[in-house]
Amino acid sequence: MLKKIKLKDAVGTKLAHDITEIRPGEFKGPAFRKGHTVCNDDLCHLQKLGKNHLYAIDLAEDEIHEDQAAAILAAGLAGEGIVWQDDPREGKIKLIADNDGLLTVNTASLAAFNMVEEVMCATLHNHTLVKKGDLVAATRAIPLIMKRAPIERAAAIARQSGATLSVKTLRQARVGLVITGSEVYHGLIEDRFAPVLSEKVSDLGCTLEGVIFAPDDAELIRNAIQTHLERGCDLLMLSGGMSVDPDDVTRKGIRMAGATEMHYGSAVLPGAMFLVAYIDEVPLLGVPACGLYHRITVLDLVLPRILAGEKIGKAELAFLGHGGLCKDCEECTYPHCPFGK
Amino acid sequence: METLKPHLLTGPGVKFELEQISSARIEVLTGMLPFESLLKSAAEVHGHLCPGQVVGVRMAMLGCRLIGLEEPTRQDQIKKLIVYVEMDRCTADAVAHVTGVKLGRRSLKFMDYGIMAATFVNLETGRAFRVISTEEARSLAPSYAPEINQKYPQQLEAYQRMPDSVLFRVQQVDVAISEFDLPGPTRRKVVCDQCGQVVRDHREINREGRALCRLCAGDAYFSNAREVTWPDMNRVPERSRQTALSGDQNGRHLSNAGDPCWSEKEFKPC
Repeated sequence: MLKKIKLKDAVGTKLAHDITEIRPGEFKGPAFRKGHTVCNDDLCHLQKLGKNHLYAIDLAEDEIHEDQAAAILAAGLAGEGIVWQDDPREGKIKLIADNDGLLTVNTASLAAFNMVEEVMCATLHNHTLVKKGDLVAATRAIPLIMKRAPIERAAAIARQSGATLSVKTLRQARVGLVITGSEVYHGLIEDRFAPVLSEKVSDLGCTLEGVIFAPDDAELIRNAIQTHLERGCDLLMLSGGMSVDPDDVTRKGIRMAGATEMHYGSAVLPGAMFLVAYIDEVPLLGVPACGLYHRITVLDLVLPRILAGEKIGKAELAFLGHGGLCKDCEECTYPHCPFGK
Repeated sequence: METLKPHLLTGPGVKFELEQISSARIEVLTGMLPFESLLKSAAEVHGHLCPGQVVGVRMAMLGCRLIGLEEPTRQDQIKKLIVYVEMDRCTADAVAHVTGVKLGRRSLKFMDYGIMAATFVNLETGRAFRVISTEEARSLAPSYAPEINQKYPQQLEAYQRMPDSVLFRVQQVDVAISEFDLPGPTRRKVVCDQCGQVVRDHREINREGRALCRLCAGDAYFSNAREVTWPDMNRVPERSRQTALSGDQNGRHLSNAGDPCWSEKEFKPC
């Protein structure tokens, strides 16, 4: 229960919560911390912050303070790769990445969590690449005191299917590249795919095991795939030959190599003719020619997820549609733009 | 479909197909059936599969688990269970089906609140939990089944994917049940001082020293009642000769429907 007391009568009492001070453009933070004993010298400062009354708290057995609530909520939300400190500031607890990796947000459980009255959690977008120490989310209870049961229910909702938030470490894949196209194979033009793709995989901590060039011949593409697999590559990327022309036989080569699963087409521009296939557990990514022109394509959305252990299928490629349109800005600011969000 | 008789299912080593069992005859089996079986039979009993059946089946499974009667249709548990349903919607049928509670056994109580909730009472322990279907679950259906865009199919799938914590809120409650509301034989009968109608179970209204049925007390759901005659008034249900002769000396017929609601020693109609 909260009891309102006049400021002049509050001298000697302990503050029930942090008191926030905002100096526009200069400072926002707690001017006084919870538990601070109010003294005569504080009265003027408190009045300037608009406080003529303070709350005294008398917690009933089934009630908790916002700071306790925040800790219960944070514990429910945080999964692998997330750390937090039980030191709420203004009732709020920050959730921090404990390692480099891919932030994974269970958006359904986050929505369900936020539908519970009196709690909130705000996060970065699902599938954001983060570094150790990055702020990925923050949570708090809205009122100063509240019943314990709804807070515990919210925490249980947050824990469904593992946890609402996690940072998954990217595996360091051994990548094999297959550059297709007779024009490159026969030296009519110089390949520019291999440097682009090798930079992308090494940026994510993977090792490029080798590059094989293949003409527009499905059997030779199959042989190239098999060679990489025999070498122990656990992620294959194939460039070119993904379009609708009669010479585009990369898909046929992938099928001949024994693809157990194949999803052609993604709801992303650039990247509509992207392909994800699997030979047993090894993913094969077919990168269409747009990857040569655009700095960022569907590959940048999907590759980190694959390295984080996610299985990408038809639904995952389809769900990219909302936010999957690149505005093709003159100066690319990805990931600080709506693409892939 | 062949309806298997209960006693055929209880012997050791007897194999059976759940699909073949009439929904009304599952109470002799031990253990609560898996969710999917319950949903299938609930939909058959109710007449269609709908989101309300999913919510009702899950509400009943959770309620029974909370009060420690996980096999509510087993003979020794069915008598310990009372369920109050607060709505007369699809969900109510599924709750009644899964728990086996019935209006006529007085184990099903209908409280006309228009609230998607049911309270599960364990008569033995006195523990009772009110399970409330959350309104948020409707809003969250698109998040849990984003690949489905039609409202009802989406709810049907999403309500099967959501954890109990999202689908329900639960309150522990105290339920004071009058002895006149409990299952068992009729505990009291009075005759209406005005119309002579027999009123059971203390449902009479005492007014100025007179016991009145609710109708005579002015609490009728109908009006303008006129007694009538109708064509073919002397009709009696047709029975085969064999059935007509198989009744016992009290005129009862052999039944496999579990415990009777009267005492074998002292047969008094309810």
